[in-house]
Amino acid sequence: MPQVRIIAKNFMDMVASLPAMKLDRLYENAFICEAILRSLPPLAKKYVLQLLYIDAPVTASSLQEWVLVDGASKHRVAVDRLIQLRIFTETVDRKKEASYKLNMMFQMNLRKHIVHGGVLPREPMNANIAVRLPSLEELDIYASQQWECFLLHLINSAEVEVTTKSISPSMMKVFQRGLLSQRDNEGSRLTESGFQFLLMDTNAQLWYIVREYISNSEDRGVDSADLISFLLELSFHVTGEAYNMNTLTDIQRTTVKDLADLGLIKLQQGRKDSWFIPTKLATNLSISLSDASSRKQGYVVVETNFRLYAYSTSKLHCEILRLFARVEYQLPNLIVGSITKENLYKAFSNGITADQIISFLQQNAHPRVAERVPSVPENVTDQVRLWESDLNRVEMTPAHFFDDFPSRDVFEAACDFAREYSSLLWEDSKKMRLIVKTEIYAHMKEFLSHQK
Amino acid sequence: MTPVSSKQYADDVSLLMVLIDTNPLFWSSTTTPFSFSKFLSQVLSFLNSILLLNQLNQVVVIATGFNSCDYIYDSSLGHTNQRAETLLQKLEEFVIKDEELNKEDSVDGIGSSLLSGSLSMALCYIQRVFRSGSLHPQPRILCLHGSQDGPGQYVAIMNSIFSAQRSMVPIDSCVIGSHHSAFLQQASYITGGVYLKPQQLDGMFQYLTTVFATDLHSRSFLQLPKPVGVDFRASCFCHKNTIDMGYICSVCLSIFCKHHKKCSTCGSAFGQPQISVSESNQKRKAPDN
Repeated sequence: MPQVRIIAKNFMDMVASLPAMKLDRLYENAFICEAILRSLPPLAKKYVLQLLYIDAPVTASSLQEWVLVDGASKHRVAVDRLIQLRIFTETVDRKKEASYKLNMMFQMNLRKHIVHGGVLPREPMNANIAVRLPSLEELDIYASQQWECFLLHLINSAEVEVTTKSISPSMMKVFQRGLLSQRDNEGSRLTESGFQFLLMDTNAQLWYIVREYISNSEDRGVDSADLISFLLELSFHVTGEAYNMNTLTDIQRTTVKDLADLGLIKLQQGRKDSWFIPTKLATNLSISLSDASSRKQGYVVVETNFRLYAYSTSKLHCEILRLFARVEYQLPNLIVGSITKENLYKAFSNGITADQIISFLQQNAHPRVAERVPSVPENVTDQVRLWESDLNRVEMTPAHFFDDFPSRDVFEAACDFAREYSSLLWEDSKKMRLIVKTEIYAHMKEFLSHQK
Repeated sequence: MTPVSSKQYADDVSLLMVLIDTNPLFWSSTTTPFSFSKFLSQVLSFLNSILLLNQLNQVVVIATGFNSCDYIYDSSLGHTNQRAETLLQKLEEFVIKDEELNKEDSVDGIGSSLLSGSLSMALCYIQRVFRSGSLHPQPRILCLHGSQDGPGQYVAIMNSIFSAQRSMVPIDSCVIGSHHSAFLQQASYITGGVYLKPQQLDGMFQYLTTVFATDLHSRSFLQLPKPVGVDFRASCFCHKNTIDMGYICSVCLSIFCKHHKKCSTCGSAFGQPQISVSESNQKRKAPDN
């Protein structure tokens, strides 16, 4: 089974990995230039701004002159990133001196922005629509409901009665790939990464899903560059304003429908027109994931006796808690459970780590306990870690085994060599056999071939 | 792919307070190298580029007039698409109001603008940001100043400088006039900001973006213009003259150019100065007055 690694990367890594042709085309859209500039490390932003009105290539050494010794690594990261995104084109002349030049299209779009100021991607519709627009709070509630519904749908389509009418089964398959493993006889089970996925915060989850959506777009006959540019453009819309559907292309219209299922957008139908309203999920898309302002309020209280109270009405929260705790009562607004050894063992065997559980409990701590330090009692966190280490009594180290040494001298030399790298795991001087870590296998081989 | 951790760079969000010198006496004088409209267009582009760099960046513009000063733009209010229009409209209203105030009394002396007032307004705004909400951007002040220092504002300006230092707000200064400004030199030196007097004012946008657009986080590893020399001279409290040497009250540290019987600030009585010292003092301070 192909291992899907869930890393909370951001949108721009995906953009950077696009082929050159597509990347150049993306820069024709001014909003993408803006979004990409904002995603850069500060030093890179500064370089772009500095070179914005310079048409001739600038030598690398003159750029380096601005940097103090401490900042050399930051400088390298910034320049690498700029080259990787094809914002800088690097040319090396005969004297082997590199010089950089800004991407023409990118430069032009930014110049325009700086002179004319920001422009909105689309004019919002007039306020005189017959239907009342949802308030910002209503929109937030809608977005989180829709997202939870989607997650529930995603993890156990068998147990929960199907409330979402719309997400197409083929679409669902795409999202479930990697998170669920399908077995014919026993239905679907969450995979290791599926469990980890549930414990991530909403932004990271959203990003994972959007990434799957984009990488799958080619199969649906949608160009991934078009899709990325539309998604980025969407993040520049104003939350809570209504935008007419007529302004979208056909492909964008189908995309908007998919995004509405995820809670990124709310669709509304008037008498004549229909329009879409971006929610906070959509406008946060291009912002880096570490943005703490989007953190939701917590709901979990853990006591020193391992009991767990979750003030929540959400089914999803209950399902998540079930991953590592025994749910005892379910009241209308309260879930009572306890963290037990058996449940934790089950969680560990599913691939969830103790650290993930603890950080989940800490991140979602109820505001009353969140002020306390530590927010989760120490004896509970310690015990969770201890139970995990119970299961890992045997430590595995990939290793290589050597025997049949031609002489004792060679054997001794080999042992010393391995010791020097502190990679000698075991030796048997009588039978002249030794085991070393895999990392130094190549060095070891080279060393032995010189000995002969 | 290069692993760029987004956490590490989360702290480049900045709040930039820009103080624009709108003193009509400075802009109409013949020594001013370029026109106000040219200056404004460069500054507007600079403001746009600051707001472009980060979606959480905030810019506040304060006009420093001859008689008054006022907030003329705040990016946290209002829409993005009419940035220049709102700013220019407010600026025009401000200039008219400032001129009306002027009719009451005639222009005296060198005609310096009210820098102390706008500095205090900027610091007040920053304090308000500090006290509201848990997350706030890193603030800094940028003075785009042209008119000459008004020695009369010495105490007020020094007080603002020290309170900026206390709240760790750097004051950057970009001097567009023909003379160096001792006040701003001291302000930038004390608060750890950058002081720069551009050589070619036509390329002011480039100066602004290369030097003053740098966020505080990046400053720790960039080479920015260092102060060549700082004019530390103080103004005396009695006649508001700039002096090299004078009398200092041993109780409250007020500065005087002449010997007084009693400190005008704290009221402590002084003894008779020794004749020899006062004579040499009077000789030295003569050329400055």
